[in-house]
Amino acid sequence: MQTPNKSTKNRLRFVLGVVAAVVAFLAWRLFYLQVYNNEELKKGALEQWTKGIDIKSNRGIIYDRNGKKLAVNVTAYTVWATPAEIKNPEETAEKISEILKMDKEVVYQKLTKNVSTEKIKQWITREEALELRKLSIRGLTIVDDSKRYYPYGNFASYILGFTDIDNNGLDGIEKTYDKYLTGIPGKIVKTTDAANRQMPYDGEKIYDPQDGLSLVLTIDETIQHFAEKAANQALLDNKAKNVSIIIMDPNTGDILALANKPDFDPNSPREPLTEEQKQEWANIPVEQLPNKWYEMWRNVAISDVYEPGSTFKVVTAAAALEENTANLNTHYFCDGFVRDIKGVVLKCASWYNPHGSQSFADAIANSCNVAFVHMGRSVGKEKMYEYIKAFGFGESTGIDLLGEQRGIIPSGPDVIKEVNLATLSYGHGIAVTPIQMVNMFSTIANGGNLMKPRLVKQLIDEEGNVVKEFPTEVRRKVLSEKTAETMLKLLEGVVTNGTGRKAYIPGYRVGGKTGTALKIIDGRYANGKYIASFGAIAPVDDPKIAVLIIIDEPSGVYYGGTIAGPVANQVIEDTLNYLEVERKFTEEEKDLIEQKVIVPDVRNKKIGEAGKLLTELGLRYTTEYQQITTESVVLDQFPLPGAEVIKGSIIDIYMNEKLNMLTMPDLTGKTKDEVIQILDELNLQYTINGSGRVISQSPKPGESLSGEISIVVELSDT
Amino acid sequence: MGKSKKVVKKKSADFILLIATVSLVFIGIIMVFSSSWPEAMVDFNDGYYFLKKQLISATLGFIALFTTMNIDYHFFKKFALPIYILSLLSGLLLFTPLGVELKGATRWINIGFTTFMPSDAIKVGSVIFFANFLSNKKDKVGTLVQGTIPALFYIGLSCGLILLQPDLGTTVTLGATLIAMFFVAGMKISHLSAMIVGAAAFLYFAITGEGNEYRMRRWTTFLDPFADKLGDGWQVVQSLYALGSGGLFGLGLGKSRQKFFYIPEAYNDFIFSIIGEELGLFGTLLVLLLFFILIWRGIIIALKSEDLFGCYLASGITALITVQSLINIAVVTSSIPTTGITLPFISYGGTSLLFYMASVGILLNISRHAKLDRS
Repeated sequence: MQTPNKSTKNRLRFVLGVVAAVVAFLAWRLFYLQVYNNEELKKGALEQWTKGIDIKSNRGIIYDRNGKKLAVNVTAYTVWATPAEIKNPEETAEKISEILKMDKEVVYQKLTKNVSTEKIKQWITREEALELRKLSIRGLTIVDDSKRYYPYGNFASYILGFTDIDNNGLDGIEKTYDKYLTGIPGKIVKTTDAANRQMPYDGEKIYDPQDGLSLVLTIDETIQHFAEKAANQALLDNKAKNVSIIIMDPNTGDILALANKPDFDPNSPREPLTEEQKQEWANIPVEQLPNKWYEMWRNVAISDVYEPGSTFKVVTAAAALEENTANLNTHYFCDGFVRDIKGVVLKCASWYNPHGSQSFADAIANSCNVAFVHMGRSVGKEKMYEYIKAFGFGESTGIDLLGEQRGIIPSGPDVIKEVNLATLSYGHGIAVTPIQMVNMFSTIANGGNLMKPRLVKQLIDEEGNVVKEFPTEVRRKVLSEKTAETMLKLLEGVVTNGTGRKAYIPGYRVGGKTGTALKIIDGRYANGKYIASFGAIAPVDDPKIAVLIIIDEPSGVYYGGTIAGPVANQVIEDTLNYLEVERKFTEEEKDLIEQKVIVPDVRNKKIGEAGKLLTELGLRYTTEYQQITTESVVLDQFPLPGAEVIKGSIIDIYMNEKLNMLTMPDLTGKTKDEVIQILDELNLQYTINGSGRVISQSPKPGESLSGEISIVVELSDT
Repeated sequence: MGKSKKVVKKKSADFILLIATVSLVFIGIIMVFSSSWPEAMVDFNDGYYFLKKQLISATLGFIALFTTMNIDYHFFKKFALPIYILSLLSGLLLFTPLGVELKGATRWINIGFTTFMPSDAIKVGSVIFFANFLSNKKDKVGTLVQGTIPALFYIGLSCGLILLQPDLGTTVTLGATLIAMFFVAGMKISHLSAMIVGAAAFLYFAITGEGNEYRMRRWTTFLDPFADKLGDGWQVVQSLYALGSGGLFGLGLGKSRQKFFYIPEAYNDFIFSIIGEELGLFGTLLVLLLFFILIWRGIIIALKSEDLFGCYLASGITALITVQSLINIAVVTSSIPTTGITLPFISYGGTSLLFYMASVGILLNISRHAKLDRS
């Protein structure tokens, strides 16, 4: 037998060598992949094995300054599917779509998607959740989720703002304080196989979420209610486009209330609230809806600029007093016109009945444009500009909300021409925001300090421990104490015997200034569109609140004193009562209170006769009608004849044209006793059906009650 | 002959080779069990499904090993032609209704109680027949007419039948094995060079040819598997992830994550990467070392073999194991493009285990006759 020859043996040894080399190469390759350079591979592997599911952290609660909850979280249910574990997607989709009222095709697609988990539907009802859980479908989980809920509905909407479906703040405080409110989300880390099923190792790692911090606002829920109620009433009474009310604590800069009407419900910020809105929105294309939303969400109290008109005279007067270019002994003469500016003749509001000679105090009380033009000239354009800036006009107030406008002021003293200085003195040719204006009144009220408006007092954790305080902030000293004090007295004069009479409250010393201005739309004065405003401070002996009422585009009467004054009166009285500010009656007032008077019937009497009658009884009166002649006849009066009022009360008298001021009140939710009280006060005839609380009424709230109208109120029987 | 038979019986088989083989088979059983568990649970609701089948195959394999170890290997020389024809016939059965088509290829035949992989039979049958052919040619192996031409004919016949299935990986394995035998037997270097060029050309057309785009994709995927890691690169990337996450000592026996369907059929072609993941570099080098020991002993046996047939048969069997194991490991480590072949002794698969163990039995029998240095 032939044995392998030398060549064969050599070749075999050669092969062994080649194999050894290949093996060595593979060994090196393994070392390289497994040990030397394995980090990238390890990371890639880890990434594909682990899947994280976020656990939402609870969003912080928003409290008012007294601990009332304005924004909370409620449990909602969210349905998740793990497609890999769904055995029969077709059948399952049918069951789910039936319960959740979803399209079957959509559910099927979600159930068969190649992902580890898929959200089927967020925020289903408790009933739906129970029904789904009863089916106990494998691969379907119903997670208790939290949903933002605003217990008061359309209340303080422009302060609170709202969140999106994932609880991210989108507007208001929810947005600006989002990083505190959100907290840190947790995570469940799972290891899954290639088909997204849980692997039998490691189990789940859970990283607990850290809940968000809660906010304590400066808002007082009760005062906010007063503001909301008054704003809504003013909106209805004046059929206005917008009403804004801001109430501020002048000593701290705390915003106690900020209400705009119409508004929205932060629980469903994209739903129209009023019937008119609903009808309007139903007819516009879907892609234009967002514009409507943004319009609805715009916080007019900080985002709208307006020409302030007479309320701005406070700035002129304060500047003149502080700079000592005028004093309380300065007298001004008004012949109805300013004629010494080339090419322009400026009119006083009361040109047809000029004010004549008047003191400084009278000039403010009368809101005399002519006097203020002279006062402004004495201050001069440089100083005027300085004070406009000092009071914070033309710059952000620093309030913690989005969309604040800076307003429009002259770019510098150089651009202020003679006519500009003249019109600026009575608040024309300048645009301000409501928040700037109320801040100006606060500055007068607190002795001359311009404050930064504060909305959030502190951050607290779940146990209620204060995590962070937001201090009050004085931005700058604008006026001396003395000037501020003088200004307060002058403003009180406006209310006691000037254009602001409607804001007079016996026992509370209210100071204020009215304002009426034509609106500017697209750079032009819009005929017939006004903004009526009233800025007030109360009580002037120890200011607790600064208030601004803005009524945008009222229909009918548009004078600030006439329509905004009563609104200020109401919110100030309510607020001071609530704040338990003691009424201090003057001797005169005490006498008046003790003396009750029966209101006489002045209807169908000539104005002179009526006025005499009322004055003799110690009553005062106001009338809207401007061109009063001695022949003017009183058509109607309020209160009606026979009512018992205290001496010094104001009787509204209406002449020539009968104004139908009476509108149907909103009785929804009221008890029978309340309904009787409200309707009796209005001297109305009515029918009440049932007992319990009001569920429906006819006519609807806000409808006019002129003519023969039968009022029917339906009550629930529970 | 009678005398020599007695001598033969006294000699013991190569112990190191036996130990290495048994070790590999046992590692294989454990790793098949570990890597098949998830799929067995999902598909058969029985985690032991593949383990049971592999245990049966291993038992049959040991029976085969001890049988062939005790059959004088000259028996195979005598029946080389019938064995070869039988193996080729089993290959032809693939083209009858008995063939089982799976993923576009027909590689199994169904023989009722189990399936059978003819290519495993063809591989061993061809090696036996080719060893016989080469030993018969003796010194004429180096000639063109008597050596190279008939040799190429047989190589083409065997490989062609496998290529038709189609199964390029096994074709390459068998082709390389037979050429290695031919080379050892004394093939002319000039012929070899020409043939390497021919093989290269063949591979080139097999890859770029029309209808073979999947092979081209394998090539581009090899160059950068991460470019399409969710598509064509998936297997290789998953294999590398497994090796990489194993590190030095692995995640621990049974603790692979990649076997959870990231690596499809983890108990098959890519079982080596699961070894890398569970047992680390330590495990992969151990397996590589066992293969090298096996190859080394195989070559030693060939060197010391007392006759040409023994030498060529030992070379052939060793080459078969060498080529298939090294290609598999090279694929798993992304050192060459993907070709679907299993890791001998370790991957799941009854036919393969049975024939490889039987082949080692033959090798052990050759060692009984060889002038080995037994210590």
